[in-house]
Amino acid sequence: MIWLSRDTTKTLLAVHGWSGILLGLLLYAVICTGVAAVFATEINNWASPLTRDATISLPAGVDRAVRDLAGQVDPQYHEEVATWRGAGGRLIVFFHRHMQDPEGRLNEYGVQFELHPETHEVLARREGWYDDIAAQSRPEGVAAFLVDLHVRLHIPEPWGLLVTGILGMAMMIAALTGLFAHRHLLKEMFTLRLAREALLRRRDLHVVAGTWNLPFAFILAFTGSFFSFATTLGLPLVAKATFGGNEEALIETLYGAPREEKAEPAPLADLDAMIADAAARSGITSHFIGIERYGRADATVWVYQPLPENELVYTSHLYDGTTGEYLTERPPLGQHPSLGASLVGLMYPLHFGNFAGIASKAAWVGLGFAGAYVTLTGLLLWTQRRIDQRAWQRMARLVHYVGYGLPLALACAPHAHFLFQDSTLSSGTLQGFAFIGAAAVAAIVSLACDELRRLRRILLTATAVAVLALPFTRFAGGGPGWFEAWSSGLPGVAGVDITLLLVGASTLWLARRRVTATHAASLRPSLEARTGSA
Amino acid sequence: MAADEANADILELPSSGRARRWLRVLLAGPVVLAAACFAVVGGALSLPAGSAGVNNLVLPVVLFPLLWAVLFLYACLDRRLARAWLVVGALLGINVLIFAWHWTGAS
Repeated sequence: MIWLSRDTTKTLLAVHGWSGILLGLLLYAVICTGVAAVFATEINNWASPLTRDATISLPAGVDRAVRDLAGQVDPQYHEEVATWRGAGGRLIVFFHRHMQDPEGRLNEYGVQFELHPETHEVLARREGWYDDIAAQSRPEGVAAFLVDLHVRLHIPEPWGLLVTGILGMAMMIAALTGLFAHRHLLKEMFTLRLAREALLRRRDLHVVAGTWNLPFAFILAFTGSFFSFATTLGLPLVAKATFGGNEEALIETLYGAPREEKAEPAPLADLDAMIADAAARSGITSHFIGIERYGRADATVWVYQPLPENELVYTSHLYDGTTGEYLTERPPLGQHPSLGASLVGLMYPLHFGNFAGIASKAAWVGLGFAGAYVTLTGLLLWTQRRIDQRAWQRMARLVHYVGYGLPLALACAPHAHFLFQDSTLSSGTLQGFAFIGAAAVAAIVSLACDELRRLRRILLTATAVAVLALPFTRFAGGGPGWFEAWSSGLPGVAGVDITLLLVGASTLWLARRRVTATHAASLRPSLEARTGSA
Repeated sequence: MAADEANADILELPSSGRARRWLRVLLAGPVVLAAACFAVVGGALSLPAGSAGVNNLVLPVVLFPLLWAVLFLYACLDRRLARAWLVVGALLGINVLIFAWHWTGAS
């Protein structure tokens, strides 16, 4: 038992409840989209399948591809070249330079190629600022929409990141206050009175899910806040304090200054050999390459790899670009291992759950789903306890609208991506229209529906239908059928389709499930108050 | 309660519930945010850089959300409002002084 005075416990509960109620709805949106975004790579491979080799590891022949493409772009964009695998295993090569964008931020401008990883056929060529290029990329569209909603709620920078950072703070505060406010924490972790009345049962479920999920909620909130605040607040403050506001100088200190300048032209050494060397050193194939000053005597190649087995902090290998000589292994930040670099390195696997492949990602989805459940049930419990007050009845309606309407809008968005493949509008814009359209319809239904119980059933049923229809819309949009996908070596396509069908069926069952009489009674005052006041 | 009132008298904090509530909101909101931001600045200027030369630049940024959350909770929970102002104010003051000292020293 954690001993605290009665007044302190009361204050803790007030902070716990109000931090949740004020920001809970937005937090719920961030958690829901974050749960889906864990599988961003798999979602992209499902939405835009291309090759059976749809891994994140770089394919053979990168050297030839980069060399061929370098001749097709303005040499000013040889300042830096980045190469990685995109949706469906597509090979992405981005020639760019660093410039100030129209908003005054340091940004990347250049030419990006999307290649077939086996034939190296150019599938798309885009030129512009990196953000605009990313927005135009249709194969990455479905996951990008979810990720952008998760990271910045589609609010322009830097405000979106600041908002999600504050939401992370609210989650951290709710987790900390939840830990101390429940005085009999250990007892409550195992208290589930299923035979008691609905409100008590749901309170027990909220507490059990919340307490078991506390460490994970804290980790997610902390790492998420770090990612949101690091570039918007933390690094600018540090740059101001230590480098008089010069962020470039700070970045050079953190990532290492470029090598001594030698502007004379020199051919690049064999990239494939460097990738093979890095793989031999760590036993893992590279997934990202960065080439600084391509085609010059001072070229440097950075080879990045996913997390090695039994490691939680990634490193990169550095090569002399002209000789191919191995220079050093670099931690995430600085030239040598340090506490700061290790902490920053840890933030990635702890937030994305990508340290043990699909298994850890699945665990992160499960724990994230529990977080969404705790947020929603917390909001429902808070509003239900005050349902006899008119303002809280409106809040209860809003909680139902967001709680059950958001999954509906999220499930509707990808339909626009699949159905309007030939549209001149970007995938993000199309999905945005579908999302807002579905949210607007859900809002009208929420206002028109008298009973919250009925509203919940309608929104859940609509969500189930939208999810169940996704495999069919994907097929209607030109995607491969199950037989074609299977025979082309793309079993993941059918795998995701089946998962969606199962999720849709479960949601439908949840929507059709009879609500117990006591639960129904707790939702009814809203109707009575409305009719009474009319 | 008596101790609270005594504290209020010593530091001339208003003893009415409404004014104290606003003082609490002011402390837990903008003052705590300013204290956390200046802690990042102060940390960057005073923490040891370590062999890699990045610890002082990275640790304050990593710990910023945690520091903000802990300070916010402390400002909400300390029954003695005057003491809470004193603690948060001292943290803010020390880091402002570090920044000012560095700034004047540099110029």
